[in-house]
Amino acid sequence: MATRNQKIKFAIKRFKGFWSQFKRSKRGLVGLSIIVFFSFIAIFAAFIAPYEPIEPKITSDQYPGVPGVKIAVQLCKPVWYKYLPWIKRGYTNITEAFYFYGERQFKFVFIFFVPEADHPEEGFQQDFEKVYNFSNTIRASHKILEVKEIKAILPSGVHQFNLSEWTIRGSREVHPIESVLPAEKLIQMCPNATRFELTYSTGVDLTENIKIVKDHKFTKSESFDEWKWESESNRIDVQYDAEHGYAPSAAQKELGCLRVTYKADGQKLGENITVTIWKEFNYTYFEPPRDVFIHTSIHHTGSPHIELQWAFIREGKTFIVASNTVTESESYKHLYASSLMANTTFIDQIFAAPGNYKFALKIIIPPPQGDVTIYLDHVDCLLYGNTFGLLGTDNAKVYPSDIFSTLIYGTRVSLIVGILTAVFSTFIGLFLGLVSGYLGGIVDEGIMRFTDLLLVLPTLPLFIVLTVSMRATSGYISMWNIIIILSLFGWMGFARSVRSMVLSLRERAFVEAAKAAGGGRFYIINRHILPNVFALVYITLAMSVPSAIVVEASLSWLGLGDPRLASWGKILYDFNSSGIVTTKGLLDYWFWVFPACVSIAILAAAFILVGYALDEILNPRLRERR
Amino acid sequence: MGLKGYIAKRLVYTAFLVWAIITVNFLIFTAMPGSPIEAYMSSLKGANPEAFKRLAEHYGLYKPPHEKYFLTLKNLLTLDFGYSERYRSSVLDVIIREPLPNTLILMGTAEVITIIIGMLLGVIVAYKRGGVLDTTLVTGSLLTYSVPIFFIGWLLITFFSLYLHLLPTGRAYPVEWIRNPPSTVFEYIIGRLYHMILPTITLIIFSVGGWILLTRACILETITEDYVVTARAKGLKERTVLYKHVLKNASLPLITNIALAFAGMIGGAMITETLFNYKGMGRLTYDAIFLTGGGSDIPLLQAIFYILALCTVVANFLADLLYGIIDPRVRYG
Repeated sequence: MATRNQKIKFAIKRFKGFWSQFKRSKRGLVGLSIIVFFSFIAIFAAFIAPYEPIEPKITSDQYPGVPGVKIAVQLCKPVWYKYLPWIKRGYTNITEAFYFYGERQFKFVFIFFVPEADHPEEGFQQDFEKVYNFSNTIRASHKILEVKEIKAILPSGVHQFNLSEWTIRGSREVHPIESVLPAEKLIQMCPNATRFELTYSTGVDLTENIKIVKDHKFTKSESFDEWKWESESNRIDVQYDAEHGYAPSAAQKELGCLRVTYKADGQKLGENITVTIWKEFNYTYFEPPRDVFIHTSIHHTGSPHIELQWAFIREGKTFIVASNTVTESESYKHLYASSLMANTTFIDQIFAAPGNYKFALKIIIPPPQGDVTIYLDHVDCLLYGNTFGLLGTDNAKVYPSDIFSTLIYGTRVSLIVGILTAVFSTFIGLFLGLVSGYLGGIVDEGIMRFTDLLLVLPTLPLFIVLTVSMRATSGYISMWNIIIILSLFGWMGFARSVRSMVLSLRERAFVEAAKAAGGGRFYIINRHILPNVFALVYITLAMSVPSAIVVEASLSWLGLGDPRLASWGKILYDFNSSGIVTTKGLLDYWFWVFPACVSIAILAAAFILVGYALDEILNPRLRERR
Repeated sequence: MGLKGYIAKRLVYTAFLVWAIITVNFLIFTAMPGSPIEAYMSSLKGANPEAFKRLAEHYGLYKPPHEKYFLTLKNLLTLDFGYSERYRSSVLDVIIREPLPNTLILMGTAEVITIIIGMLLGVIVAYKRGGVLDTTLVTGSLLTYSVPIFFIGWLLITFFSLYLHLLPTGRAYPVEWIRNPPSTVFEYIIGRLYHMILPTITLIIFSVGGWILLTRACILETITEDYVVTARAKGLKERTVLYKHVLKNASLPLITNIALAFAGMIGGAMITETLFNYKGMGRLTYDAIFLTGGGSDIPLLQAIFYILALCTVVANFLADLLYGIIDPRVRYG
């Protein structure tokens, strides 16, 4: 009997011999290095990815009192797009074509303007219920700075509309321009499917996220230098206060804040006192920010209530974004304005052109009775641009994820699903194949007929039916459900090959010798048959990973994945369900899915390459014929 | 045992498989904990009592398990899948009327082209193994094998439909046909073909690699056999060796695969059809899984699932028959 040491030595020697052969296979080395690379990414995902993979938020200690601040708006382009020379930046005129549909039903008149598509009618049929319902509004694809021309191409000739017959209004996402003309008149004038052409000027640019205030916690007195203030009252003073500041808990005090003081002189004032505190910043983009987030922590004494307004000032013109009334209190109140999307025509107006802007806090103190002290902390304003991160952001509405981070974390899921599925299914196949082949008889018959049955069942529909019913029972599909299903139905081919190998092995002389020497069934399977089958095990392990990876991605693509899990499949599903592929195609958002698809392909191919290399080394017949 | 005995044996075995499929069907849809069919029925109960009553009768909701099982057996054997509330006709009718022919046309075309190209390339590659063509094609096949099919589809849509504006992004036929159907057969055929190009190419790119690899492997397996060496040693022409000795023997495993491919064809390509919005069996399955209001159309799913499995069994049987006729070793073995 060999001692433990000898066994280990023997194992090392064998591995060395195997490795020297494996080194010679170029394909195998390429595959192996790719797998090592992806494993590295999967293990250190938390260090490589800059953000959380799903619903990333700016941490709440940055902006107290806010449930979560999104890191970027949805559907951002990658930051490095700005280095691409062919991307247009600046003011341009855009002409867009629409098709007009008017319908009279009962008493009502419905009008639709459908954007030009390859097949206008198709676009009309698909979309009118969703987006274009009952409106006499044209929806441009970009922000409308100024309408240049609207015309309808009628059978009698081109009709130029008077621009005063149309108004720009409403929310940011759709950029609507509405007709003032009565619907009846439009329908009378234009037959169905009349082509409308809208020409408007707009600014296009790649904007980045801007954090206006560098040190919004006021940790250093220098932070105050960038702020300026003014007030009509000479009794007002604004200073940096190193003694106070908002503290999330008693233990961790974050000292430093802005202090506004009003010194009373005994006279009763009849008028409000206004203080404006502002910070200048440069906005260099032709396109307005896509969203704004403003935050202020405030706490004051001496006055029953004060008013705090946030505003942007451009060329002396003040645009008030929001105003809040703050009652007197002992602790800080956290005020914020987020998702100003609803009122973004306003923001479009504010940031109409590049230039110098001021972000201002306006504090209005009602006629004070005595001294008033106001503490301001965590004052910040974020302007969200349309580019973000290495690969942009996805289409999640509330907290869009950074696609790059999801991609990095997704490596884990794919590797885990692929490898575990391969291990489980290979194990099942090995066990059943060995038992069936060695025992023979009725056991063999039973197992093989069962295998045949499973082989007959259509695979993808079967997976889908099972995931659907798992979803019905547990409410959602987890990664483990997918691993279990894939393993339970992935072992049949392997079991068959193991069985046929065992069938020939068990008639060999060495097995007979072992039997004659009194070896038990388990002993013979374990010591004589298993080692001979193991070459096949390694190959199958490598070869069944890719199909598991691809099937997992396909199931996710169909919407049968775990939605709470950052996986490559989720990226694909989000892209697919966003419908961008049929409207804008891969060209506009290729960076969203391209990396995920390529990663799937590369990882799957890597395992196949390793499998082929193993096959060449461990399968002597193949080696011969090369 | 002659050919007749062999066929009889396969027939019995096929009947056994059909029974097993029905049983699996029963287990998955009716007997599994949280039975999908009962869940589906209870979702109908409040909204549509009449439909609920009809389904309860069809599936024997209030009957004991063994009676339910026999009912399922009877229903599936007679291809009676009940009535689809969503499509307002019998489930079998829903499947046969439009999706099945659509799928057969699409998949049949794709499958035939794929198999021809794949086998031709496979033979060439196997015969000139080790060459540049071999390396390129094998690596290429491995790659297409590991690229998700929707990615191929997306690339094609983007390039041909959205960039070149040459081909439609989806659908089985032009939208205008809903209102005014084509007047001539020629127009009809052209319209259908026009909409089939992209999905067909997608399917071909996706599956041709597998056929190349399979054919290559089968041929390499036989090319090293002793009888091939003998044939060469006899001084036979290389062409004779290839056709008579190598291809004939290598074709056996290929026949099974072809039969299975044509059986699997009926299921349609779920992903491709969904991607291209092509109304075939795959798209029907997808629609059955994701009902607009949430939940799934279980009766329809059950029918599709059963029909697919049944077709595979029949195809297997046919392949076995062919095997028996071609290869005498199988009959007597």
